[in-house]
Amino acid sequence: MLTRRSLLKSAPLLALAPTVPAFLAKTARAAGPKPETRALVVVQLDGGNDALNAVVPFADPEYAKLRTKLRHDTKRLVKLNDSLGLHPALKPLDKLWDGGHLAVVPGIGYPNPNRSHFQSMATWHTARFEEEEIRASYGWLGRALDAGGGESCVVAGDAPQAVRGRRAATIALTRADDLLLADPAAAKAAVGRTPQADDLLAFVQRQAVSANTSAEKIAELTRDRSDAAYPATALGQKLQLVARLLKSGSAARVHYTSQSGYDTHAQQENAHSILLSEFAEALSAFFADLTAARCADRVALLAFSEFGRTIKENGSAGTDHGTAGCAFLAGPGVKGGIHGTAPSLTDLVAGEPKMTTDFRRVYAATLANWLGLPAEGLGASIAPVTLFR
Amino acid sequence: MPTQHWKAYAPDAKAPWDLRRVVHLHRRAAFAAPWDELQRDLKAGPEASVNRLLKGTANGHTPDDFAPTAEVLADAAVSAGDINRLKAAWFYRMLFGPDPVGERLALVWHDHFATGNTKVRNARAMHRQNELFRTHGRAKFADLLNAVARDPAVLEYLDAPTNRKGHPNENLARELMELFILGIGNYTEADVKEAARCLTGWSVDADVFAEHATRHDDDSKTVLGATGKWTGADLLNQLLKHPATADRVASKLVKAFFGEGACPADAVKELARGLREHDLDVNWACGVVLRSRLFFADANIHTRITAPAEFVAGTARALGLFDPAPSTLAMADWSARMGQDLFDPPNVGGWPGGRAWITSRTLIARANYAAALIEGPNAGRTTAYDPVAATKAAGLGATRADVLAHHHRLLFGTDPTAEMSTRLAQLDGRKLVIALLSTPEAQLG
Repeated sequence: MLTRRSLLKSAPLLALAPTVPAFLAKTARAAGPKPETRALVVVQLDGGNDALNAVVPFADPEYAKLRTKLRHDTKRLVKLNDSLGLHPALKPLDKLWDGGHLAVVPGIGYPNPNRSHFQSMATWHTARFEEEEIRASYGWLGRALDAGGGESCVVAGDAPQAVRGRRAATIALTRADDLLLADPAAAKAAVGRTPQADDLLAFVQRQAVSANTSAEKIAELTRDRSDAAYPATALGQKLQLVARLLKSGSAARVHYTSQSGYDTHAQQENAHSILLSEFAEALSAFFADLTAARCADRVALLAFSEFGRTIKENGSAGTDHGTAGCAFLAGPGVKGGIHGTAPSLTDLVAGEPKMTTDFRRVYAATLANWLGLPAEGLGASIAPVTLFR
Repeated sequence: MPTQHWKAYAPDAKAPWDLRRVVHLHRRAAFAAPWDELQRDLKAGPEASVNRLLKGTANGHTPDDFAPTAEVLADAAVSAGDINRLKAAWFYRMLFGPDPVGERLALVWHDHFATGNTKVRNARAMHRQNELFRTHGRAKFADLLNAVARDPAVLEYLDAPTNRKGHPNENLARELMELFILGIGNYTEADVKEAARCLTGWSVDADVFAEHATRHDDDSKTVLGATGKWTGADLLNQLLKHPATADRVASKLVKAFFGEGACPADAVKELARGLREHDLDVNWACGVVLRSRLFFADANIHTRITAPAEFVAGTARALGLFDPAPSTLAMADWSARMGQDLFDPPNVGGWPGGRAWITSRTLIARANYAAALIEGPNAGRTTAYDPVAATKAAGLGATRADVLAHHHRLLFGTDPTAEMSTRLAQLDGRKLVIALLSTPEAQLG
């Protein structure tokens, strides 16, 4: 989770981070989105998505045995092949799948999985496994951006560990109006001249100039409201904001956001259905919007969760913290299809399936084959999955 | 206290008791004050004004039903398990409470003994901790620390319940030494391990502190050079006796009441010495600080970044927005957008504070809060602020120069400079006040 001690140590660093990331300044100069500036959008599914009911091994008789209450009717699934189907609520992803723009990675995880939300999420964030290593480590994206250059934009209250780096600048916003001035004229007048002095007032004045510049750029970037229709959900709104930034030529290499609520210990069916439907509708709207604006080609989206849930349902029609999960990648540059194999439901460790794809192999592909950033920080032996065209 | 640095302030030609110092006192020691209170204290003089603050009778706008209302608000938040309503209940206290110094100290201790509800997930426990800071915030530090170290929210936040004989969890022991009491450099890693053993068995049962003898390691331990079969209570007593404890408390109070670079290192040392001589009496130290020449010195005026909660509550108070008051739920939300989400500090180190309060996002939030408060609806007020009416009530005219002069005096205790007048020359009425509140100057106090 917080890894409070490492945060404590990095707090002064964060305070020194530039207030106007270069990508905002660059964007203002750029005539429009450049196809060569590929971007990654990460959607973190918080709480542990039930992989077994998201990517369903309907042909495996074990599935029906394990899930007596929560099992899906095979007829309602979105069939991917003869053995796997998507949760009915993921139907809006049809178009991406049919176009060959959706990759599904079942059985994704890491060795000796930890079923703590925080520990497991921190492992996904850092691609590190020992508690001490996790605490001391920058994020997998932060390290890659440090080494290869670039910045990130986070649509959340604070930068997650995944994007934290030694140098890589990040701007965090929860909603567009976090960086929009209610009264730009008054704020602009208020600043006054920036003095040469180095006292506290001069510091605030310089920051205020930066703030007004950021606000102006964000206002420019998000002015174009000619979006395709978005669902009025939290994730829909977040991806709409990301799309506005991308369409206006944001040069941030990574955009990071999240959808929470996947910790479904009880009465899972309805809750999970709503979550996946929100997820699929937001993704579908996002790519429709980018496609219409002719900038989908430079965007790939990765969605992951910290773990899957127990393959057996519990006594309250829910599921508890499990191990291997599933990941989704979407975008025109993505090689659609099922990558890897669904884990066996009978060859278990501590009652749970063994992962079939190490998540770092997906990271390696994303960094090396999509963003063109160094993937060495993940470990030398990590071979990328062929996820991109 | 004997002292070179902490001589009592007495107005003279160099440091007169003027509006500037009255504004300074209220902004720095409390949550700013409206015009009528400033005028009252300008007439009353420093001694009476400081005494009123220390006694907790400074706020002239405390409603008769304040205590029961504050209690009902907090109880309702706790029953609903709603941390946002608990934040709002605290803003109600900042806005209306009779004891603003007490609330400021509660905020200081919340920052010092930082505990986040994101992990604790218990509004009742967070409320009890908040009350603890109110009850013991200006007591002897020993009373405060003994209560805090047994506080269920602190124990949960620092994983104390998992610390048992043979299975040490060092989190609480480490933070007691590093952050809460001594500070880095005054102990070793071995001390942390031994201190954790002293604290084994300290836990929480049904939201209440519990000491489990069976989980306690009662073998001999060596902490800071002393060996014995120490318990958790022994550990606290030993840490309290360490000379570094007074240094840390003194630094904390100086951080709260002084601006950047305004208090010389020697003065902090001297305050720490006084604290040691006075059994770490926080109330005594507050009295010394708030009565001192150093506190009222030019170097200490307008040289500190105002924390978000202070900016949020202080702006509403300065403008006298008591009826209708802004929504305290909205105030808590604005404070969070400015970077200070009450009951959820970023980590156990508290808010970094000072210059770290100022980023693009937080400055924009400050400017937008100013606009929301003045225009009304986005701060939960049904009516807009009327700058001309306020200016006239202070005995001035209705021109834009009058409006600027009055609000500049209200916020800074001085008349606007020619530069400030030029800067804001294009604005009038509410826009003028919004801009004034958005100036870099208004972020200092």
